[in-house]
Amino acid sequence: MIPLFATIRVRHHGSGKRSGFRLWLPLFLIWLLLAPLVLVLLPIFIAACLVFRVNPFRAIGAIWSLLTALRGTHIEVDSARNAVLVRIS
Amino acid sequence: MTEDRRQILDMLAEKKISVDEAERLIAALGEDAEPGSAGNGALARKDPKYLRVLVDTIDPKEGPTKVNIRVPVQLLRAGVKLTGLIPAQARDHMNEAMREQGVNFDVNRLNPDNLEELIDQLNDLTIDVDQAENNTKVRVFCE
Repeated sequence: MIPLFATIRVRHHGSGKRSGFRLWLPLFLIWLLLAPLVLVLLPIFIAACLVFRVNPFRAIGAIWSLLTALRGTHIEVDSARNAVLVRIS
Repeated sequence: MTEDRRQILDMLAEKKISVDEAERLIAALGEDAEPGSAGNGALARKDPKYLRVLVDTIDPKEGPTKVNIRVPVQLLRAGVKLTGLIPAQARDHMNEAMREQGVNFDVNRLNPDNLEELIDQLNDLTIDVDQAENNTKVRVFCE
C-alpha cells in the first residue's frame, strides 16, 4: 500500500531562540492530484525507457514497489542545535 | 517444548542425526506449526521488517547528536530492484563518481541475492561499533 501521510519536523535552537516548523502532509491528496499528471507523462516515460533500452513494465513495477515500500520509514537526527524528523506512514 | 522437538533433540543427543539435520527438522516443525502455538517463534525464523541504524555521537560543531533511522527492508529490496534498471553506462558513471569521493563500491555487483544474504545475516546479529575516542556508538540491526 502506498504511503498516506508524512510528517516533517525541523527544529533549530540558536542563541536562545527556538525556531522551526512541523508539516503534516496528507500524501493521499498529493497522489490524487498527481494522478492526472502521471497519466500525461506516462507515454513520455515509456518512450524514454525504450530509448535507454529499459523494459518500461519492469521500470514501472520497480517504481511502484519503491513507492509502496516507503511506508514505515523513520529518519530522525537530533542534536543540541538542530533536530530533523521525517516519518512516512 | 513440543514432543516432536524433544524427540529431535533426543535423536541429536544420541547422535542418530547430525546438527544440520536437526536444524532442518526443527525449522520444518516451525513452518508446520500454527502461528502462536506453543514452542513456535523461538526457533522459527521471522522475516525482519525494518533495518535500524542508531548513532549516538558527540559532534565537534553540533554537540551530542543522535541519529535514529528505520528503513523498511522492503524499501531496500525495491531499491536494489531499481538499480537493475539503471543503464550500464550510467552505472559506470556512478561507480566513477563514488570512486572520486573515496567510496570504492561497484554498483554492478549489487543484486537481490546479496541483499537477501545481508538481511539474513542481520536477522541473527547486531553490528555494534563503539568508538571511545569520540564517544561514538553505532548500532545496526534488523527488527
